[in-house]
Amino acid sequence: MATRVNPTFIDDLDSFGAEDVQLCYQCGDCSTVCPHADEVYKFPRKSMRLLQMGLESKLETTLEPWLCYYCGQCSEQCPRDADPGETMMSLRRWLIARYDFTGIARKFFKSRATEVITIIVVALLTGVFMLYYGFSRGSIHIYDGESAFLPSPFIHKFDLTLGALLALFLIFNAARMWYLVMIRGTSLKVPWWLYITEFFQLPWHFFTQKRYAECEKKREHAVYMPWIIHLGLMLGYVTMLILVMVFIEHLQAGPDIKWQVHIFGYLATIGLITGTVYFIRSRFKKHYIQYKKSHGTDWVFVVLLFIIVLTGMAQHIFHRTGLYEAANITYIIHLMSVVPWLLRMPFSKWAHLIYRPLAMYFAAIRRKAVFQQEAVMSSYPVVVK
Amino acid sequence: MRTGVFFCQSDDNRSLNIDAIAKYSANLPEVETVQILRTKPLPVLDFLCDQIRTLRLDRIVIAGDIPGYYKPVFTRAMAMAGGNTDEIRLASFQEHGARGENAMDRAKAIVACATMGVPFPLAAVPGGNPVNHATLIIGGGIAGIQSALEIANAGKQVFLVEQSGTIGGHMAMFDKTFPTLDCAACILTPKMVSVGQHEMIRLMTRSKVMAVSGKPGAYRVKIRQSPRYVDTKSCVACNQCAEVCPVKVKSEFDAGISLRKAIYIPFPQAVPNAYLVDGESCTYILSDGKKCGVCMKKCPKECINLMETEHIVDLEVGNIIIATGYEFLDVSKIEQYGYGVFPDVLTSIEFERLTNASGTTGGRIVTKTKKHNKKTGEDEWVYLPEGIPPRSVALIHCVGSRNRKYNPYCSRVCCMYSLKFAHLIKEKVPNVTVYEFYIDMRAFGKGYEEFAERIKQEGTFVVRGHSASVAMNKEQMVVRGEDIFNDKLVEFEVDMVVLAVGLVPSEGTEDLSRMLGIQRDSDGWFSELDYNGSPTDTDKGGIFVAGMCQAPKDIPDTVAQASAVAAGVLKSLTSGKGIGHISSLSLSEIEARAKTIHTI
Repeated sequence: MATRVNPTFIDDLDSFGAEDVQLCYQCGDCSTVCPHADEVYKFPRKSMRLLQMGLESKLETTLEPWLCYYCGQCSEQCPRDADPGETMMSLRRWLIARYDFTGIARKFFKSRATEVITIIVVALLTGVFMLYYGFSRGSIHIYDGESAFLPSPFIHKFDLTLGALLALFLIFNAARMWYLVMIRGTSLKVPWWLYITEFFQLPWHFFTQKRYAECEKKREHAVYMPWIIHLGLMLGYVTMLILVMVFIEHLQAGPDIKWQVHIFGYLATIGLITGTVYFIRSRFKKHYIQYKKSHGTDWVFVVLLFIIVLTGMAQHIFHRTGLYEAANITYIIHLMSVVPWLLRMPFSKWAHLIYRPLAMYFAAIRRKAVFQQEAVMSSYPVVVK
Repeated sequence: MRTGVFFCQSDDNRSLNIDAIAKYSANLPEVETVQILRTKPLPVLDFLCDQIRTLRLDRIVIAGDIPGYYKPVFTRAMAMAGGNTDEIRLASFQEHGARGENAMDRAKAIVACATMGVPFPLAAVPGGNPVNHATLIIGGGIAGIQSALEIANAGKQVFLVEQSGTIGGHMAMFDKTFPTLDCAACILTPKMVSVGQHEMIRLMTRSKVMAVSGKPGAYRVKIRQSPRYVDTKSCVACNQCAEVCPVKVKSEFDAGISLRKAIYIPFPQAVPNAYLVDGESCTYILSDGKKCGVCMKKCPKECINLMETEHIVDLEVGNIIIATGYEFLDVSKIEQYGYGVFPDVLTSIEFERLTNASGTTGGRIVTKTKKHNKKTGEDEWVYLPEGIPPRSVALIHCVGSRNRKYNPYCSRVCCMYSLKFAHLIKEKVPNVTVYEFYIDMRAFGKGYEEFAERIKQEGTFVVRGHSASVAMNKEQMVVRGEDIFNDKLVEFEVDMVVLAVGLVPSEGTEDLSRMLGIQRDSDGWFSELDYNGSPTDTDKGGIFVAGMCQAPKDIPDTVAQASAVAAGVLKSLTSGKGIGHISSLSLSEIEARAKTIHTI
């Protein structure tokens, strides 16, 4: 199949953060030092090369960007300051935009203004809707029960609607990713049973983020700090998402504390608050190379999450201390940040929660397929004459 | 002649204010129009043609850093408009050296000359000075030797100043030259000997230029001659002093891989062929004559005088040639290669000494051997002739070169000498595997590409891909790299790693440039007057550059440049008029001269 070259591709990637790809002269130092590069998946040099050559259709089927965890070793010793680490990061952003069939993600990544304005508009609409609903049904002085300002069964339905919408987008995008990576991206015949034998990769990588730890191992952090914190953030996030989607009626109802539900909430909050504070701080301080260049969407990601966690904590505290008015107001602010956050999920950096483990899963399948192919090839007799 | 001046200048050159130059050129006689054009995209043909027609331009001046780039479109426009295409004049700021302090005046002069149709080099000729017929050459490497011989053979006096104890420089340390695989010493030593014996050359070793004053054609130079402690005239190099000397230090000539005494001769063919004493390690000198002094008692010719002091020599010369050469980048700061950590990671010059037949192992390529040092009680890694030869060797190119963190430039010789090393290893060590890791193979000279092909055919594994890590895995060195052509990540077990280290200007370059008032480029090398037109001259009249100190180059180029410099010097001597400082010419002077030429 002929491959089309897109000569302006490299300029297109500028707005995703890969500004210095042109400088790369293909020495391969980055691939040499990368702890994740191996026989089957060689990067970042190869990805840089595809990018330089404008092989867009080839790049969108690669998995390499997802296998990189941006430890920054490649960028640290790049003789040309071409920043391969940041390029891989930008390729991940670009892939998120590519997997998204609506084209919204691309707009968000390319223009910070569009993203921020959309978020503000959605937040305001949510606020107006919630206020209208609250005042038409209940009283701002009441938090629990029948005539509550924002009764939990209503919030539950609201959440489930949002969740369904979200899941729809994500399933579509993930399917697109699967099509690009597994159908278009490999000429090998992938046996169906590999999908089953390798399935364990999905939860394994989702819950341990083992490769992230491997990445950090080579660096000077005492106990793989970023890995632990990232893992905590992710686990906290997932726990909270489940609590909100399924157990919101138990979580919101008060004023007493239901420990069997709330203990998870508290643990999740600890993970979330540590994570967001750590990453905001790192992005400000720029101690490590991976935090030196922050894309606009990175900031929106951490800051918005931080606001959500803060307001969530505040409304919980106000509610339990009997300040119902304050609790209702902070809850509305909380919802005003949660709704745009959730709606933005499939189109933003957040989506890597899904794509990363999927990529590990697909990568493992492809690797097995390659080895099988090689085994078949090597079992052929060598015909001399 | 109705002239149009068009500025085609990108914004890279910050020292030039194009608007000011444009304003200046608008006041020049016969100038009809001055336009500052956008450089991207190229000026439109129709527009230019239209301009030439409506303004009835007879001459067009294209001004900018690289005006030649825009010449074709102007030529076409001129031809379309029916004008004389010969009247397209280029005013190149870059070519004629509009940089540094008086960049603006120079740029204005360049434009002025072009509008008058006078070639700039014709107008910008500094006045001649009477020339002293003696020449000073700073640096006694191959460049200095070649220039000295050329000038001295023409019958002119030469003072050759060398910092170390012998002339010869780096070339004397080499085993073979690429691509012909000639013996370096066989080419160099006869030249060295003739320098030592030449009646017109006064050789001053262990000397340094302290101050330079005067003007072109009549420079006064102050030279500090450090004590050698041995009389070069009576020393017969019998080696009896070195036999009794108790002090051992690392040999500079052997790039630190072997030891020498405090009284030593750098190598047997040194010129002057006499011993010298290292004042920084000699016990007698360090203790102010209280200890040791055995060499003085031992010497049969009584030529050692450890009480000698330095003295200052004043010289008057007409021309000065700078041939100060280069140094190697300090590779221990590039940590990923493990230099200084693993014993068998060598720099290229160390390997050069190892493989040299006059080196410490007699030319045997071996790995280091662990040896117990009784004095310090520690184990040391040393080269012994009976050491074990390596089974596999990795040669890594571009170590510190073409790297934004160290040297952004290409050191130009590393590819070729690494290929040469591959050949030497293959030749000397049986059943050895050699891996070459390169980024781009720069085999640009006569016979170089063929040499590279030959090395590949000899069975060296030439890996397209740079290695960034040398690690130790269970007492075995491992070199990792990416083989880009074969699309593989490779990991080779090797016994020896040779790093093709980048080159940097030698230590005193900065001081010398300040002393002589010669600019250096951003990489630290001396700036020539014009890279294409006069690559040996400098801004200052009567001061020339030869060899590596101008930019990295190989031996053939160095020798060629050194001879060219000699021609420049001899030109000034035979004409009797030295060329003054071009940098001191003022705008009005050049303008006036251009006008005179113009009217003729």
